[in-house]
Amino acid sequence: MDERDLAGVRVLDLADEPGFLAGRLLGDHGADVVKIEPPEGHPVRRRPPFWGGVSDPERGLAWLAQNTGKRGITLDLSRPRGRDLFLALVEHADVVLASGRPGDLAAIGVAGDVLRARNPRLIVCTITPFGTAGPRSDWRASDLTALAMGGNLRPTGDPDRPPIRCRLPAAYFHAGLEAAVGIVFALYARENTGRGQDVDVSLQEVMLMPNISLAAQYATTGFRGARAGAGYRVGDTFQREIWRCRDGWVTFALRGGAARIPGLIALVAWMAEQEMAPPCLSERDWRTYNHNLLSESEVDEMSDAFAAFFSTRTRAELYAAAVERKLMLAPVNDARSIGESEQLAAREFFVELGYPHSADLGGVLRHPGAIAKLSSSTLTPALRAPRLGEHNAAIYREIGLGAAEIARLAEEGVV
Amino acid sequence: MIDGIFAGLKVLELGGGAAGPISTRYFADQRATVVRVESVRRPDFLRLLHWKPGTPGGVDASLHFACLNANKRSVALDLTLAEGRAVARRLALWADVVAESFAPGTMARWGLDWPSLAGDRPDLVMVSTCLYGQTGPEREYAGFGGQGSAIAGFNHLTGWPDREPVGPFGAITDSLSPRAAALLVGTALLHRRRTGRGRHVDLSQVEVGVYCLAEATGTFDANGTVLGRMGYRSPHAAPHAVLPARGDDRWVTVVCHDDEDWRRLRAALGDPDWARDPELDTVSGRLARADDVEARLADWTRERSPGDIAEHLQANGVEAGIVADFGDLHEDPQLAFRAHFRRLAHPVIGEHAVETGAIRFSDAADREPARAPLLGEHTEEVLCGLLGMSGDEYRALDAKGVLR
Repeated sequence: MDERDLAGVRVLDLADEPGFLAGRLLGDHGADVVKIEPPEGHPVRRRPPFWGGVSDPERGLAWLAQNTGKRGITLDLSRPRGRDLFLALVEHADVVLASGRPGDLAAIGVAGDVLRARNPRLIVCTITPFGTAGPRSDWRASDLTALAMGGNLRPTGDPDRPPIRCRLPAAYFHAGLEAAVGIVFALYARENTGRGQDVDVSLQEVMLMPNISLAAQYATTGFRGARAGAGYRVGDTFQREIWRCRDGWVTFALRGGAARIPGLIALVAWMAEQEMAPPCLSERDWRTYNHNLLSESEVDEMSDAFAAFFSTRTRAELYAAAVERKLMLAPVNDARSIGESEQLAAREFFVELGYPHSADLGGVLRHPGAIAKLSSSTLTPALRAPRLGEHNAAIYREIGLGAAEIARLAEEGVV
Repeated sequence: MIDGIFAGLKVLELGGGAAGPISTRYFADQRATVVRVESVRRPDFLRLLHWKPGTPGGVDASLHFACLNANKRSVALDLTLAEGRAVARRLALWADVVAESFAPGTMARWGLDWPSLAGDRPDLVMVSTCLYGQTGPEREYAGFGGQGSAIAGFNHLTGWPDREPVGPFGAITDSLSPRAAALLVGTALLHRRRTGRGRHVDLSQVEVGVYCLAEATGTFDANGTVLGRMGYRSPHAAPHAVLPARGDDRWVTVVCHDDEDWRRLRAALGDPDWARDPELDTVSGRLARADDVEARLADWTRERSPGDIAEHLQANGVEAGIVADFGDLHEDPQLAFRAHFRRLAHPVIGEHAVETGAIRFSDAADREPARAPLLGEHTEEVLCGLLGMSGDEYRALDAKGVLR
């Protein structure tokens, strides 16, 4: 018997990209997440890059990566028959997860209230650009605009160029986690109340918290934020946090209070062993060190010495020393080097899932496994991403459809 | 409408910084009682972030701390003393949830790890959050969010292709991992409710980040391709741009996801000649000429305010947004509608703003926030009031310097 925390919880997943992560998380916890796609398939299936490099809706890597732990069916919700089938599915469901704009569900006649008339225990979670109501709730926003309107874009990037984003959609990651939190909290509330409810997550609003309270602080400080490139502004000084090394970059900082100082001392000791610690480092009294009190020339002098030292070492050498000597210095990893992490390997973080329909490419892909280690229960993607309509027969049978009827619906283009 | 999903739940928080305290806010905001254990000898890193000798109000003057710790109480305890650890143990056994963010092994050294507590409280839920998790050869490698973001791969993906990586503003693993912690405590509480059993959750901030970036590791694993930085652009849509607006350091976003969006944008601009070029009718054509398209659009946006541009394009069905600074957010009508910022009064800082989360429940009222605690403000109230310690014992511990 599946004893995972959300075993027995059925999630009907209508979400687009902003909600992919939420479904993944719920699926890893044992929920039966049923991804509902239009008959032609979700558009992200057709987004490059493709596994093996050839366009194929079963091999889109963005799709495969974010849709593990889910089963998949097709259904044309724009047709009355499709809507009826959806309502029948809702009677056996606990959660509906949707993204898009407010009113999208109402437009096809499946708003939260309508659904809860069928199933009062149903939780309906929507991830919308700005929330389900309010003066800008009909505005459009994908990742870039959510980052911008949430205040996280403007301080990201170099001061002499426009603001930038993480190449993969950070707003969707935040929103996916937030939606999963909201759904689990609503499931907990339902244990007491017996009722479902609406869970309204705003893509804009999830991006305020990543500013780590600086937005709230504005009301006191008047600080509007600014791009500082690969570091931080502290008073009048620029304190670098990304440093070039021989074969890439590492991160290391002057700030961090008492917790940082042992790392600074240990790094300077290592530099001194290599005769690369100038007096501004080797003769400093670290007991009174406070990064808030450094002058611009002090910062520059220290930074030049660190930069010179880092440039003589590789990322791996610096990181190995950081682990051994507790330097609080870290590699700027790319997908290759994170995949080589001994730490992640020791924790068996990545798992392999089989894709028999891609046997020509080896048939196996490595996916991130559990998002955490638990002392009881398991937490890991048990299912690879579904093929288009892979579970139509199994799931439609559950709501009483026979094979002939399912075949007819397929012919009519409903599934 | 219920009054807080976690009313009556008791949460004990040990450790400072941003990630741990943000995760427990989720429960505090739903009316759980959250008690922080703090140290006078070694105050929370956030309490010292902007501290200089002579800062009025000292460790209680940190706005950063105050903004992240609303709705909580503070107990001062010296955990380097055996008596302090004994009190912490009693608090942990009082709690339903313990959230800690010390270096791995610290709680075990103090006899406060989950196996040591679960004997007496098999229903205790405990979450341990650190950079790398509680196991593995590099578990003791300590770091801040800035390192987590770099190790997980976010920095590599954030920057200009012709320049060094910079990373997303705000050390992104410090905001992803608390959301993951809140989720995992939530599922552990569901599990507890059904089985009566508690659980230990070992959360690695790096792993949370890598989990999110599945497309990057998957693409490398499948094809050997390392995804790189793209500034503000997307490989799938064009324009997908941050463009200059009127004013100093003012910007707007403009995104066309498909060709229909492009036709709407053209119409919204008054169908200018340059945009009628048939090469620009397709995504691939616009991607190939992204520099050109962005320069043309910038000629139009540069003359206008970010608000006017966004209003106009959105009214025409085109995704566009104000690149808001922290001040703009306080004037954003949508955030005001959702009451994102709340004001409260703090005895040292004065009136200040705090934020709420991004979830609105239709059947659970969120709590009007109470200000963050002063260091040790609730020591007596919590120990005597909630824990039932006698006045004599409290005074004896205080006299020995344990309660600081």
